[in-house]
Amino acid sequence: MTRLFALLWLVAVVIAGGYLAYRVHEGLAFRTDLLALLPREEQNPVLQKADDAVTQALSRKLVLLVGDADRAEARAAATELTQRLQASGVAAITTSGFDPDHLRQMGQLYFPYRRGLLSEDDRRLLQAGKGEEIATRALSRVYGFVGTADPRLIKSDPFLLLQSFFTGLPLPLSKLTLDDGMLSVTNGGMVWVLVAAQLTGEPYALDTQKRLTTTLDIDGLTAQQPGLQVLRLGAVFFAQTGAEEALNETSTIGLLSTLGTILLVLVAYRAVVPLVSSVLVIGVGIGVALAASLAIFGNLHVGALLFGVSLIGVAVDYSLQYSTEAFAGLATPAERLRRVFKGICMGTATTVIGYLTLLLAPFPGLHQIATFSAVGLVAAWITVVLWLPRIDRVRAPRHGAKPLAWAGAALSFWEAPRWHRVRRGIMVVAGLVVVIGLTQVHADDEVRHLQATSADLIAQQDRIQHLIGSSAGNQFFLIQAKDDESALRTEEALADRLGPLVAKGALAGFQLPAAYIPSAARQLDNRHLIAQQLDPLLPKQLDQLGLTETPPTADDAAPALTLNQALGANGPLAFLSSLVLEPGLHVATLDGIAKLDEVAAAADGLEGVRFVDPAGQFSALLGKYRIRALELLALSAALMAPLLARGYGIKGAFWIMTPPLLAVALALAIRALAGGTFTFFDAMGLVLVLSIGVDYAVFCAGTSGDRKPVTMLAVALAACTALMSFGLLALSRVTAVHAFGATMLTGIVLAFVFAPMARWGARAS
Amino acid sequence: MIRRIAIVLLALIPGVAIAAGPDPSIPPGQILRGLFVQERHLKGFKASFRSEGHFVLAPEKGLIWDADKPFVVNTVITASGIVQVVGGNETMRLSAARLPFLSRLYDMMGGALAGNWQALEKDFSVERSGDAKVWTVVLTPRVANAQMPFRGLTAKGSRFVESVEITEASDDTDDLTFVDQTVSSTPLSSDEEKEFAALNK
Repeated sequence: MTRLFALLWLVAVVIAGGYLAYRVHEGLAFRTDLLALLPREEQNPVLQKADDAVTQALSRKLVLLVGDADRAEARAAATELTQRLQASGVAAITTSGFDPDHLRQMGQLYFPYRRGLLSEDDRRLLQAGKGEEIATRALSRVYGFVGTADPRLIKSDPFLLLQSFFTGLPLPLSKLTLDDGMLSVTNGGMVWVLVAAQLTGEPYALDTQKRLTTTLDIDGLTAQQPGLQVLRLGAVFFAQTGAEEALNETSTIGLLSTLGTILLVLVAYRAVVPLVSSVLVIGVGIGVALAASLAIFGNLHVGALLFGVSLIGVAVDYSLQYSTEAFAGLATPAERLRRVFKGICMGTATTVIGYLTLLLAPFPGLHQIATFSAVGLVAAWITVVLWLPRIDRVRAPRHGAKPLAWAGAALSFWEAPRWHRVRRGIMVVAGLVVVIGLTQVHADDEVRHLQATSADLIAQQDRIQHLIGSSAGNQFFLIQAKDDESALRTEEALADRLGPLVAKGALAGFQLPAAYIPSAARQLDNRHLIAQQLDPLLPKQLDQLGLTETPPTADDAAPALTLNQALGANGPLAFLSSLVLEPGLHVATLDGIAKLDEVAAAADGLEGVRFVDPAGQFSALLGKYRIRALELLALSAALMAPLLARGYGIKGAFWIMTPPLLAVALALAIRALAGGTFTFFDAMGLVLVLSIGVDYAVFCAGTSGDRKPVTMLAVALAACTALMSFGLLALSRVTAVHAFGATMLTGIVLAFVFAPMARWGARAS
Repeated sequence: MIRRIAIVLLALIPGVAIAAGPDPSIPPGQILRGLFVQERHLKGFKASFRSEGHFVLAPEKGLIWDADKPFVVNTVITASGIVQVVGGNETMRLSAARLPFLSRLYDMMGGALAGNWQALEKDFSVERSGDAKVWTVVLTPRVANAQMPFRGLTAKGSRFVESVEITEASDDTDDLTFVDQTVSSTPLSSDEEKEFAALNK
């Protein structure tokens, strides 16, 4: 019968392996963005869609600033990079469209409506009754040393109002200037040329990152041209270093943990079979888990993979429990399995319950981790139960006496009457640490603290910000109104609030549709201002310009320029379509936010205006789910209790639960006392500490007589392997992973130390 | 956008001219002052636009170009950019960072004053005729430089530049006449210092 099941399981594993091979052959890609782990905001689908669209567009922005002391070299390199991007199709160039043709088209669009278009400054001057200043300025453009007036323009626009409107447009990247068709800036003897693009793929997909890197080949380019510098800005570069770091660490940590585990097993058993068993159990567990997760989710997040691979520490416990039975003396494989069967089943069941509670949190990433872990653990359990007795050729090891004696001593510490006082002392100290530590717990949900960020990239970002006046900011305002006209009016009110913020440096700049196309109401008001303030000055102005022809009188009742006219597909203002999501739903993008609070407050009291800060919102969500993880911890403890009560009685269950719960509380307290902040990832670590701790407690509770040292040895080996995999995560430079690892490190040590307490209930029953 | 930026070249013409003759360029620490008449002929306008004023060229600092008639326009150009002020109101401010062309002109000017012609001749063909007493210099941008806002520049002079004629790409022309020019070591007046300083605000 078991032979049949073992064969069936083999078939299942082979199928999973085949599926995995197929996926790898198809080009397996892991997701790397933290945002993919986000729950959907359910309350407002329209706004969520808008947020997504804008956030995605912003995250796909890509800026290269190509600098060289030699203008021609800088331009050639920029051209080369532009061509590479265009040829590969990995990104669409957005720096084109600054050619004179384009500007002329803009002029043509605005020209017929010029009487309704006033720059902010001119509008203020006219409102203050200073029309004279505008008239003199226009004259100075004609007479002045540096003439900037187009004479053909001045005939139809004697006050040069359109020119002023034009120069006042909040063209993105305000510090740049057009140098022979390329946006450039000269600074410190270097000529910098801008290449901006929009990725065609997901910035967080490893595939996109790889293609971009090979396409650009910046290192190759700078190697050819020694004086050349290329600064990079964009979510894709940050995501790339994040992913590289995560992958490097996964392989390093994975390697260390594997080597450590192999060494440990070899040293402990001085036999190869337990090692083969362990590798088999882990391999089948991870392989089946990976195949199942990929089949269920389509793809897998690199973070879920990182957590999943770490499962090695838990899955190996069952194999070790079984293999260590060899130390108990001669017995048939079936007999050995029978002895550990209950413990392994209870351990698996409680741990799987712990992991499955993660499914209750609406984080897609948690679902992946839960599925990966649960499937992996069950697969490992099946492998232990069905396969290990069949490959078992273990003889009782001759070196067993010493390790067994140590393990026995560790166990007897918790049972021998002579240690009673010490035990009581330890409990008092532990209680004190918990009480004091818990008052020191300081939560931190700031997502920027959790991601590994490259100092080099941040320096490049600052330099680009300094050179071109644009930042990688991903905050924006969302303006929702019943139609475009109302939205434009709202934006004008918003612009009135943002203007002073720019003046005092809280914000570098902003772009909103109304800056390009004022509302019809504003255009009408502008016409009135011009009629009142400038028309009376016209005869004198024409005289000073030597013009005899009066420009045709404007019809102030003519229709105003509308947003729809400007949004034409290939029109000069086509870029506005990124700011106009749909009629009445507009976006205002922000550059260089220095004071987030003040900028965010600009939306206060403006109906339909919402400040969107994806990172801030993500931080808030992390906070919510940190609480959620703690609730999950309580819930999984509550779900384990009846299961344990069935197997060990109420008193037995109580004492089995005590060591892991004590480990959880102490780990939390010790981390806090050591100065660590409490993040969502620490909370996740605690969830796992509980599951693993219950395993150890269950193993200890289920043993008796001569088998006690054997069981304790198995638990010690399990704890060592767990430390090797989870504890190593504390070395990670990714703050989130480090937090998880450090909590696990502390928790597992404590769970192991306290595990024998679980016997107090068993002894009484 | 900047049509007449070419006029900045004025600043280097004395250098070009003087180097062609026996006299050295403006000696370090010396300042050139004079009066100008600028007549601008715009295509499509019957009358020309005429302005008069005075200028101060301090090679280490830059150029002050103050029109007095028909109304007061103060313009200051230095290596860091251009500022124009009318009646106490700044009507234009352009930093050199936004005008790559301007900073290159400055490099040329510095080169020319030091007798280094390569920088200038890279962008212009330079034709000199006459002798040190009466000379003519014609600058024509080399074709490759599509950015150059003028088509040709002719300067005439003797000790100093006396007239400059600039023909722009749009066929508009500027005629500049300089009189009463003196080179002296008289330091910049406090008003002049202030004007230069205004640019670095």
